[in-house]
Amino acid sequence: MKSPLAKLLVGAGISFVLGMALCPLLLQRPGADAPVAQGETPATQPGGGAAQPGKPGSAVAVDDSEWDENEESDTDADDDAWLGEETRSLLASDDAADASSTPGAGSADAPAAAELTAQEVDSYREDDVPADPLQDAVPKPRAAAQMTAAMSSARQLQTAFSKVEKQEYAADDLKPADWKQADALYRTLAERVDAKLGAADEKTVLDFMAAPENRLDLARLTLLRRAGAAAVQQVAAAPLGADMLAKLGNDLNWMCGLLHSGPTENLGTALEYLSAIYAADDFRLKEPVTRRIATTTALEFAREGWSKEDMLARFKFYNTAWHADKLNAVFDELAYWETRLVTGCAEPGQKVGQWGAPRNLEWLCDNVRLPVERYLGCESHLCYRLRNVAGDSVFSAEYLAPILDYTHNITAWAYREIGGVCGALSHYAAYSALAAGIPAMTMGEPGHCAYTVRVGDEWKLGNSIYWQHSLQKKFWGEPGWDFLILMQDLYQDRFPTQVSDELTAMADYLAARKKKASAFRTYDVALAVQPLNWNAITRYRGYLKLKDAQNTARWSALHKHVAGGIGAKHYHAAATMLCRYVYPDLIPLQKDSEALTDLFAGLCSQFEGWGSNRWEISPLLEAQAAAFKDDAARKKYVSKVLGILMKKKDYAGAVLTWGLNYIAKLDGGSADAKEDYTDMLLKSMARTSGSKKVQDETWATLGEAIYAAAENDEAHVFQAIGKLAQRKCRSKFPRHRAKLRGFPGRVVSMDGVIRTATTIDPGQMKECCLHWAVLQRTGGKMPGKFEGNAGLTCSLPYRSTINGIVCVCEKPIEKEKKDRPFYIEISNDGQNWERTAENGVIEGTNIRFDMRHEKPSAKYVRMLREGDKYEPTISGFYVFGKKDRA
Amino acid sequence: MKGLTATFAAAMLLSAVQPAAFGAEAHSLPEALNKAGRNPVVVFIYGANYDKLGQKKYEEFVGQRKLTPALHRCVFLTMPVYQLPNEKQEAEMKRMMGDKQLPGGIWSYPCLAVLDSENNLRGIVQKPEEMKTPETAIAALKPILEDFREQQKLLAKADRAAGARKAQLLFRAAEINLPLPESDLKDVKESKDPRAAKRDKVGFANRVKFDPLAVVEKIQTMDFETANAYIRSEMVHSCYSRLQRQMMMAALAGHLRRSGASKARLRALYTEMRNIDPQSLYGAYAEGAIALWATESAPEKPAAIAAAPVEIDRSEDNISTADAYDPTRPPKPADGGNFSTPGSTVARHTALGDTVMPTFDDSDPTVETTPEPATTSAPAAVDEPETDADTDFTEGEDDAAE
Repeated sequence: MKSPLAKLLVGAGISFVLGMALCPLLLQRPGADAPVAQGETPATQPGGGAAQPGKPGSAVAVDDSEWDENEESDTDADDDAWLGEETRSLLASDDAADASSTPGAGSADAPAAAELTAQEVDSYREDDVPADPLQDAVPKPRAAAQMTAAMSSARQLQTAFSKVEKQEYAADDLKPADWKQADALYRTLAERVDAKLGAADEKTVLDFMAAPENRLDLARLTLLRRAGAAAVQQVAAAPLGADMLAKLGNDLNWMCGLLHSGPTENLGTALEYLSAIYAADDFRLKEPVTRRIATTTALEFAREGWSKEDMLARFKFYNTAWHADKLNAVFDELAYWETRLVTGCAEPGQKVGQWGAPRNLEWLCDNVRLPVERYLGCESHLCYRLRNVAGDSVFSAEYLAPILDYTHNITAWAYREIGGVCGALSHYAAYSALAAGIPAMTMGEPGHCAYTVRVGDEWKLGNSIYWQHSLQKKFWGEPGWDFLILMQDLYQDRFPTQVSDELTAMADYLAARKKKASAFRTYDVALAVQPLNWNAITRYRGYLKLKDAQNTARWSALHKHVAGGIGAKHYHAAATMLCRYVYPDLIPLQKDSEALTDLFAGLCSQFEGWGSNRWEISPLLEAQAAAFKDDAARKKYVSKVLGILMKKKDYAGAVLTWGLNYIAKLDGGSADAKEDYTDMLLKSMARTSGSKKVQDETWATLGEAIYAAAENDEAHVFQAIGKLAQRKCRSKFPRHRAKLRGFPGRVVSMDGVIRTATTIDPGQMKECCLHWAVLQRTGGKMPGKFEGNAGLTCSLPYRSTINGIVCVCEKPIEKEKKDRPFYIEISNDGQNWERTAENGVIEGTNIRFDMRHEKPSAKYVRMLREGDKYEPTISGFYVFGKKDRA
Repeated sequence: MKGLTATFAAAMLLSAVQPAAFGAEAHSLPEALNKAGRNPVVVFIYGANYDKLGQKKYEEFVGQRKLTPALHRCVFLTMPVYQLPNEKQEAEMKRMMGDKQLPGGIWSYPCLAVLDSENNLRGIVQKPEEMKTPETAIAALKPILEDFREQQKLLAKADRAAGARKAQLLFRAAEINLPLPESDLKDVKESKDPRAAKRDKVGFANRVKFDPLAVVEKIQTMDFETANAYIRSEMVHSCYSRLQRQMMMAALAGHLRRSGASKARLRALYTEMRNIDPQSLYGAYAEGAIALWATESAPEKPAAIAAAPVEIDRSEDNISTADAYDPTRPPKPADGGNFSTPGSTVARHTALGDTVMPTFDDSDPTVETTPEPATTSAPAAVDEPETDADTDFTEGEDDAAE
């Protein structure tokens, strides 16, 4: 049983490397050269084909006979002809088929277990205390019903924490001198805490946490552990350092702000920075706002590895601006974690082009003063320009240079005067908000820069044109949008998160005191109190890996916890967490492939829509599929997951693309396996059609898949999807045949692939099947872009001798765009191009290239234009000629 | 937030009880526009519930009535802007705006926006140095109001004129340093009537439709001599503003620079460009270009700044040194320059963004080339009676109407 698609894929030895994770890179290559198809021998010189010459000087009218002999009829039956008998029968049935009996798929390795870094291992270092034999056993994971008492206590803790925060609890037991002997201080505090914890059973631990003086002791211990005694002593030795530490160490709210407002990497450096601010501030950080600005600036600059000098300048800007009443009222209400996004906004320093430079922030703070919601869209203050009035590109050094002295080297001012492109516009808007003390950040998108501003409790997109957002500021090293929303949801749920954070700190402490059982139980409660607590989960996972890595029950429970907690709403974050921190350890332990399939399918079935934002599902599916060593089990998994996800309209396109890529990546020898998977995929593709009601969804799904095929230069897949789309969604295609004067020979481009240099946005993605139609006689629709080496690229199905090319635009070429010639380049490898037809003749909507004299032989052709960017809509592209003899 | 709300309430109370101290007061934008007639509407816009600084300015400028001296024959409106307004605030904003919207170009609050009765933004005082005190704001506002009245007179005359006379009057109005109402430009921009183009002897349409990037594209494939000839042929037309002519020079010099012209040649071009209007943005651009590319010490290839930012003098930093960045300080003259921009407190631009410097003196004795004569002034013939049959212009009619 071999479907033509499978045969073709096998024959071509396709190397799919797409994966939408790589899409940003691919999309950033306008006009990128087409790769060499495997099995294709690059020709060193064009020509040599046995072309049939046409009559010189006369164009030849196109009639049906000139089209490929695989003539399409208007019937569905004929449309299915390309699929072959077996596949057609599969397509006829919409029933989910069980492909488990199909033998012969290649196997893939499960992901390797990610080892803890030395730094992570060090963070679990144990104190020199005797081990408690009663604490040696790792307790079994508990179900929710078994944690009722603990959760009740945790809820009481939340109330208690809220009260204590309002009371601004402070102690006075620690003096500056105590911090100069950090080691001794740690021992003293640890003895005190250990005495209070006694057996450290769950109740004792939770009761302990109810008293603010105990929480303060725990925070002091946490600070000493995370920063290291040596670093603390060094800070204490600096002028006013011990004084600062004493004030900090006696103030519970301040300690919580420092330790539980996000990651605390390089805490020693943060303390050093904080001490420097403390020494520089005349009021010794007495004001809560100043303290918040100082602490968050110190934390972020230490975490990012930015200099003390820049840190002081940043602190001074925000502190001065706040005292001058220049900051937006939003800033007054920010918690520590939110303030970190503002004071820790990127790119410090004094250099031109650095938006975070104090002079830049100050200028923006003075010159762009708006209500928070109006920062969205304020990039309109700048005109969009690729070139300045002197003709210098925005990407060149010369663009702003002459004006910088005039604008005092203030980047925002310079761009406001001269204009810029997406980067300048988005930075202007984001940093205007940041300068006013409002959380905001820029984001990378494929070939584009956007930004986001938080309005109320909601992050709003600005200048955004794609679904892929790579955030500039991140707490857990993950740049996806879902992580920002997770962060917002986590910290907005304030006291559960506070309790969870402090319980995690307690668990860390218990682990250090060699109380393994108590540590596990405390981690359990910390996770249960706040299932979204990313940091708590990673801390627990690290400890589990260190102490009981073979505990299948606990890894399975962790999978369930992540899927049910973060995975309830934050699908992308959950998938990332599982792929990165759970699967590498869980998969080798779980021998039961059916259980594994159920686990994975369970996760997939809970996806409803995209969640906070569209995300790339293929890495998750890739990791899950790789878990199965056994071919039959893997096929079962693929079948089950396809059955679940192809029914979900949001996921169908992405899953189809993943499936195509997955098949392409299978080992070259396993032809049967490819065939089986192809059958499975085709069945699920057939499911995408259904009725007219879901035609739009089918259209979008196939559009996404065909775009992926085009990007990978997969002619056969491109053609297969195009034909399927025509069969399923006939009404979406133009009904009338294109009228044009052709050239002698047949249309050799019809079975090829066409790509445009324009980046396709999500709105256009669903229309991508019309790109395929651009090569067909009915014509289609494709956004064109001509600029430099970017234009239209067509991969022919075989090397051909070319008599001429006709490009049909949707509208007549604008008069002012006729002053620059269109021209054709050809290539045999998609890499090295040779200019061949110099001047396209413009006739209304058509651009004709007569190549009957040259008769070049090529596998790839591309159409380009001199001069500035021109973006017409293309409705037809036809290469006339004859297939070369092998 | 609570503090802000309380202060705002007090200020609103104060505003409610104060007598009508201004030329005419309005309580909503539609009312202000209706009352305006040919007079300007001055709108004080400020952040009401999120900006303590704006609140202070409100108390100082409006509460203490310190703007009064500047508002003679104006309609004055105070407009609070709310951040994430609640229902009550939303209702107040709706009442204040009616079916109108504030025009574009207002980038920062608090500010004083000058509108005409058709809700066109004709001038704005919004820079921090302008809004620093009521006195600085008045200093910035007064010339705008004077220009507004002058421009309105010309526009009224233009409304009653036709053909070449109309074009001349519009040209004169455009020479005043405020943006022209879009309604007056629309006809010119959209007109495809060749007869209208023929009657437009001053070339007003060329001025309105000028696109600097089209010039760049036009000359980019020309050799220098051709490009130079083209630019010179364009620049002899008096229709273009000084800024537009500087932009043409920028295009020419940029084209030449990228073609590897000598520093001497570049220096001559940039100097000529600068001298058209040294105080404008492109005057400063030209000065910067001379320092970067046309002095003997300039590198053959400019240092990259986009990819590798240039280190700047840290002493300029407003945070880390006592000699802090002062927004009221004028832009620093470029090294080797022989002028410095006076500290204008008013953002003044013509309809096409031409910078206004009433104190401009182009008789700079140190420059190499002869300063260009002020060719942008309206043709002398503008006051001559027009013989065009369409003309029904009557000199002095507007003044009498005042």
